[in-house]
Amino acid sequence: MCNDHHHKKLTSNNRDLQNIEKQLDRRHFLKKTSLGLGAIALSSLLGSEKLLANIGQESAQKEILKNYNKNRLGLPHHLPKAKRIIYLFQSGGPSQLDLFDYKPKLTDMFGKELPESIIGGQRLTGMSGSQSTLPVAPSSFTFKQYGESRAWVSDAMPYLSEVVDDLCFVKGMQTDQINHTPAITFMQTGNQLPGRPSIGSWLSYGLGSDNENLPTFITLVSKNGKGQPLKASLWGNGFLPTEHQGVQFRSGKDPVLYLSDPENYDGQDRRHMLDYLSHLNDLQKDAYGDPEIQARMRQYEMAFKMQTSVPEVTDLSDEPEHIFEMYGKDSKDPGTYAANCLMARKLLEKGVKFVQLYHQGWDQHNYCPGGVKNQSQKTDQGTAALIKDLKQRGMLDDTLVIWGGEFGRTVYSQGQLTKANYGRDHHPKAFTMWMAGAGVKPGFSYGETDDFSYNVVKDPVHVHDFHATLLHLTGIDHERLTFKHQGRRYRLTDVHGNVVKDLLT
Amino acid sequence: MNQAPDFVLFLGRFHPLVVHLPIGFLFFAFLLELFSKWKKNNALLAGIPLALLMGTITAAISCILGYMLSLSGDYEESAVDSHFWFGIATTIVASIAWLIRIDKIKLPKAKSFRANIATLTLLVILLSVTGHYGGNLTHGSDYLIKYLPFGKSEKKELVPVSKVEDAVVYDYLVEPILENKCTSCHNSSKKKGGLSLTDSISIVKGGKNGDALIPGNSVKSEMIKRVLLDPHNEDFMPPEGKTPLTEEEIAILIYWIDNANADYSSKISSVETPENISHLASNFLGLPIEGQKGTVQLPEVGAIKEEVINFILSEGFTIRELVFESNLFEVVLPSKTLKNNTPEEINKKLAALAKIKDNILWFYAEDNGITDTHLNTISEFKNLQKLNLNNNDITDQGITSLEKLTSLNSLNIYGTKVSKNSLNSFLKMQNLEKVYAWKTAIKTEDLAMYMGKENVPHVSLGN
Repeated sequence: MCNDHHHKKLTSNNRDLQNIEKQLDRRHFLKKTSLGLGAIALSSLLGSEKLLANIGQESAQKEILKNYNKNRLGLPHHLPKAKRIIYLFQSGGPSQLDLFDYKPKLTDMFGKELPESIIGGQRLTGMSGSQSTLPVAPSSFTFKQYGESRAWVSDAMPYLSEVVDDLCFVKGMQTDQINHTPAITFMQTGNQLPGRPSIGSWLSYGLGSDNENLPTFITLVSKNGKGQPLKASLWGNGFLPTEHQGVQFRSGKDPVLYLSDPENYDGQDRRHMLDYLSHLNDLQKDAYGDPEIQARMRQYEMAFKMQTSVPEVTDLSDEPEHIFEMYGKDSKDPGTYAANCLMARKLLEKGVKFVQLYHQGWDQHNYCPGGVKNQSQKTDQGTAALIKDLKQRGMLDDTLVIWGGEFGRTVYSQGQLTKANYGRDHHPKAFTMWMAGAGVKPGFSYGETDDFSYNVVKDPVHVHDFHATLLHLTGIDHERLTFKHQGRRYRLTDVHGNVVKDLLT
Repeated sequence: MNQAPDFVLFLGRFHPLVVHLPIGFLFFAFLLELFSKWKKNNALLAGIPLALLMGTITAAISCILGYMLSLSGDYEESAVDSHFWFGIATTIVASIAWLIRIDKIKLPKAKSFRANIATLTLLVILLSVTGHYGGNLTHGSDYLIKYLPFGKSEKKELVPVSKVEDAVVYDYLVEPILENKCTSCHNSSKKKGGLSLTDSISIVKGGKNGDALIPGNSVKSEMIKRVLLDPHNEDFMPPEGKTPLTEEEIAILIYWIDNANADYSSKISSVETPENISHLASNFLGLPIEGQKGTVQLPEVGAIKEEVINFILSEGFTIRELVFESNLFEVVLPSKTLKNNTPEEINKKLAALAKIKDNILWFYAEDNGITDTHLNTISEFKNLQKLNLNNNDITDQGITSLEKLTSLNSLNIYGTKVSKNSLNSFLKMQNLEKVYAWKTAIKTEDLAMYMGKENVPHVSLGN
C-alpha cells in the first residue's frame, strides 16, 4: 500500500496547502536528481535499522496498536491475571518502620547505638555517614493488628487499616540504589541510569491498548509536590517506539497540554489537516524509513482522539457524592492525590492499561514523625478508597494495585534523636511495599526483616524480582519480552529477576 | 567387573565416531560394484579394492575401540554380545571381499554366481544388522520405532482419574518425568552407570555407585544430588546436551522421595501434599484439585478466521487473544455502546459472537442495556471464566440461564436487579468463586442463610 503514495499526486483545495505542494515538487526534483543516489544509500542504511528492532514490520506495530486478535510479539505467554495495573508510587522513600514493619523490641533500645553487626560494613550516605553516633530511633507511632489477617499497621494510616485483608505486604523489598534519582529510575525502568523504557512502556509495547481513544499508559502526579523532582524519563519509552511513553495528565483546565484548540480556531478542518499531514509524513517515511515518523503520526492521531476522550474521562462531575466522601474532601480538589486516585479509577474503567500515580514528599530526613503523619494524611484515605472502590465494582478481580517507594528508611536517627522527634536516612536494604488485587494473595504478608528492620532475614524480594512478578501477572514471561537495541536484546529485568511465586494466588 | 584404565575408556568413546567410516567405505564399494555392472567404467572399478581395503581396516579399528567401550560396563552384556560378534563377522567378510576383489582368493565361477556381488550383498546385510544393534545400545531399543506411524503398541494404560487426589504419585507424576528425561540412557539395555530407571525393581536395585535414592531422604539421594549439581559439573544429570530437569520436575521427584517415601503405589490423597505440589500436579495432569476452584485447564478450541474477527470488530466489540495462539479471547463491548438500542438490536449484535462462542474466555459488556433474554445467548459461551454484566437490566430470571456455565469463575453483576433468589443459581455453578453484587437487592443477611451450604462462592456486596 505504501508504494502507491509516490504515484498519488498530493492535491488540496486549500491555498496554503497548494503552496506546499509546489515546494514539494521542486524539492522532489532537486532531491531525485542531485541527491538521488545519496538518498538511496541513506534509506537503505536507515532501513536496516528497522531490522534491528524485533518488530520491524509496520503491520505488526499497527496490529498491536489496534489490539487485534493476533499479537505479533507472541504475547501473552500465559493466561493473565491482571488486565490493568495502577501503581501508587510514594516518592521519597516512605518509612517502613513508621507504617507497616512493626519492631516492638526497639522501644527498649531507644537512643542506643545501632550495633555494627547489623550495619555489616554497609556504606552509608554522605548525609548520615559522618555522624558520630547512630542512635536507634523506635517509631513514635502506635501499631495495632487489623483484619482477619492480623496485619500490623501504624495509626498513621487509619483508613488503610480497614482494607488490610485485601493487601499483600512484601516486607523484604531490596534495591541496589541509595539515592533518589537512581533509585526511582531503577524502580521504574529496571536500571539506575535514565534511558531504559519504564514498566508502563514495556506493557504498552507488549500488550497494546484496550481503548484506542486513550493512551495505554497514563501518569498522574500529585500537585504541589515538594522534595526530589520527578522527571519524564521515569515514564519514558527509552528505546521503544515513542508512542509507548506515558502521557502525563495534569490537574486544572488542561489535563493534557496543547490538546485543546487555540483561541479563535473552531477545529472544523482539523481532520482534513491531519489526513493531509499523515499523507506528507507517509511520503517522508517512504523516503527515509525512519520508524519515528510513524510514531509521530500515531501520536497525532491519538491527540486528535484525546480531544474528545480526555475531557470526558477527566470530568468527575457525574460521580455521586458518596464516592467523593469515600475518597475524602481532597478528592474534589483536582490534582491532589485523592483526586488522582479517583481519576485513576475512571481511567482504569475506560480501559487504560497502566496508570502511574506519583506522590512526592516521603523523604523524612529531619522530622520523620511529623512528615510521615503529614504525607499519610494526604494519601491514606485516597489509597484505601481506591481499593474499596475497585473492590465494590469487581475491578480488583483483574486490576493489580501497587503501593511503594524507591527505598526504605534507616532505623537509626539522622540528626538529633529526642523523645518527640527523629530523622531517618535512605535505606535500600529493606523496605515494605504492598500489592492488592489481581493474582496476588489477599491478607498476606511475605518476607521478614531483623529486629531493626535493617536486613532482610527471610524471603527477600529484589526490585528485579518484583518486576518479573508484575509482568508474570499480566501474562508475560519477563525473559521473553525483549527489544533489540544497539546490538543486543534488552528486557525490563535485563539479565535478572525471578517470579516470586509465593505471592501469587 | 574391574574398571578398565581411563585411557582405554577414553579411546573407547571414539567407537561411535569411527564406526561410521567402515559403514561409508563398504557401502560405497557395494554401490561401485552395482554401478559397474550397469556401466563398465574402469576408473570406477579401480576404486573398489581401495574402498574395501579401507573398509576392512577401519572396521578392524572399530572392533577394537568397541571392545574398549564395552569395558566401561555401561551396556547390558547380552545386547553388547550380538553387536560384538556381528561386528567381527562384518570385518572378516569385508576382508574376504577385498581378497576376492584383488583375486587373491579365486572362487570357481558358476554361471549365476558372481562372488563379488554376493559377498558385498552379504556385507551390506551384516553392516545393517551390526549397525542396528549398535544403535539400540546407544539410543535404546525403542528409539527407532518410537514414532512409527503404524502398528504402534500402546504402552500400559493408566486408569483415568477425575481429580488430582486419586492419581498414584509414581505412575502419574514420577514415571513420566523419568521416561522423559532419564530412561533414554538408564534402561534395561543401556544401563549407564549400571542404573536402570524403567521400573520399580530396577530403581530399588540402584546402580554401580549404590542406591539411586533413599526413601524419605531426598537430600542424600544420588538421583536428586545429581540433578541439582551445577550444570557444568561432570556428574550433573542429565549429561551435557540433554534437556535438564525443570524446577517443577525436581520438586515433584523430591516430593515423591520425601513425602511419599518413594513408594510406588501411594496416591496423592494419602501423602502429605503441599499446596504448590498439588498445583503442579494439577497442571501436569490437567485435572482440577478437589474443593479448589478456578484451576480449570484452558479449553482446546479451534482457530478463528480473520474475517470473523474483523466482522466482530466492525460490530463494535474489542477482542484480544488471552494466550498467544490459544484462540481464547477476551471480548469487550465498551460500556454504553448499545445502551440506547432495542433488545432486538442488541440480540443481533450478540449474534455476531456466535461463531466464536466457544472461544470466549472473558466477556465484558457492562452498562449496555443487556436484559435477561440476552443472557440466553451469553449462556452459550460455554468456556466463559469471567463475565462482567454490571449496570445492565438483569434479574434473577436471567441468572438462572447462566447456571450451565460450568467454567465460570468470576461474575460481576453489580448495579443490576438481581436478588437473593439468584444465590441458589450460584450454588449450582461448580467453578464459581467470586460474585460482585454491590448495588443489587442482595443484602448481607441474605448471605447468612447460605453460609455452610455446599459450593458457596464469595459474594461481595461492597463496603
